[in-house]
Amino acid sequence: MRNLRLPAILLLLLVACLPAFAQSLPALTGRVVDNAGMIDDQAERSLTATLEAFERKSSDQIVVATIPSLSGEAIEPYANRLFRHWQLGQAGENNGVLLLVARDERRMRIEVGYGLEGTLTDLHSRLIIENTMVPAFRAGDFTGGIVRAVDDIVLVLEGQGEELQARAERNRQAEDAIPWFVIVFIAIWAVLFFGSFGFALLAPVFGRKLGPRRYKWLGMEISYNNTSSGGYSSGSSRSSSGWSSGGGGFSGGGGSSGGGGASGSW
Amino acid sequence: MTTRAMSFTMPRSALSVLFLALMLPLLSACGFNTIPTNEERAKAAWSEVLNQYQRRADLIPNLVETVRGYASHEREVLEAVVQARAQATQVQISPELLQDPAAFEAFQQSQSQLTGALSRLLAVVENYPDLKANQNFLALQAQLEGTENRIAVARRDYIEAVRVYNTSLRTFPSLIWAKLWFTDAQPFQNFTVSEDRMEVPQVDFGTDN
Repeated sequence: MRNLRLPAILLLLLVACLPAFAQSLPALTGRVVDNAGMIDDQAERSLTATLEAFERKSSDQIVVATIPSLSGEAIEPYANRLFRHWQLGQAGENNGVLLLVARDERRMRIEVGYGLEGTLTDLHSRLIIENTMVPAFRAGDFTGGIVRAVDDIVLVLEGQGEELQARAERNRQAEDAIPWFVIVFIAIWAVLFFGSFGFALLAPVFGRKLGPRRYKWLGMEISYNNTSSGGYSSGSSRSSSGWSSGGGGFSGGGGSSGGGGASGSW
Repeated sequence: MTTRAMSFTMPRSALSVLFLALMLPLLSACGFNTIPTNEERAKAAWSEVLNQYQRRADLIPNLVETVRGYASHEREVLEAVVQARAQATQVQISPELLQDPAAFEAFQQSQSQLTGALSRLLAVVENYPDLKANQNFLALQAQLEGTENRIAVARRDYIEAVRVYNTSLRTFPSLIWAKLWFTDAQPFQNFTVSEDRMEVPQVDFGTDN
């Protein structure tokens, strides 16, 4: 009983530590993470629908997040950390956009993934912040400012129609494609590894009997007479690498950001 | 059980070579690949740092020209930026030189000088409302800010990549490979000064006439 105490305390400590780590960054609960409570419920629902429709069309992931406070951190590194933590955008494309608003610091930032830096440039982001968000925010219309900013972002991203199409197309294909060399490699492996076992086991079944415990199958003569030892256990259970296809809730697609975008304050 | 008298035409040596080739990927499980992988990752992160610094250097001639159009008598500040840029573009280190503390120090020095000169320039610009309203200047300023932020991100990524690489040279499983095989692998230099980011510039220069 005494021996159990220390591990139990350690485990408790570990569990107690976990929320502390998790607290530093908010969870990705949806396309609109309104932790500071700045967006109307109805607008939040319509925003989510808009963003979902846009992702289905273009594969670009746009997420709106509001937080109560940055607790001392500058908004740029925080936004970058949050973007990478949530992995916005598809893995190969990095086509995510994060619109972050920090309520207490009165700061906002549009963080753009690597893949969209050419389309939604720093200047675009800045103009959206300065011309759309800041005036609305100064007038106290947070919901309107955010909704119009998202509309502007979508407008800019839609501006290059062919590029949008091509990107969406690429990502649909990428989801189906399974790397063929993995299959070939595993196949050769399996043949070499299990082939001899299979051969030994199947020869009595399909082969032609030559004598006692001697068979001929596929041009080879197989004898079971001088069995030295049977202690050959093969314990290689190959786990198939899981291709998870995140069903159900919304999650990031594995994208990253190199710090593109712009910030502002109101 | 043995399979005797296999009438394969394939020679035995070819079979064993094939078998070894198939076993080769499993060597990575022993941590053999850790050091080269981390090294390449750090080099890639370094290339990104250089890339973003280069991007900043490319923006400067345009910026200087635009500011000169409105504030031509701020010669001193403009000259300082041009000179710092010239100096910064001269010092280039390739990934191979990352192990050289002196070269790395020189690079860092020249870039932080450019950062300082740039923030002085942007502080001076505050005195020229016409310039601040100029569309061209606004565009350049947005790009410059974005680039400064990208530099900060690239530096952070590099610092982390180098930390991982240097740690792998000095910690247990990969340490063996470092001693046995990768004997020429040296730790990389890392950024020492706290990030010289361009926040709102502190006006502490005496040239504010």
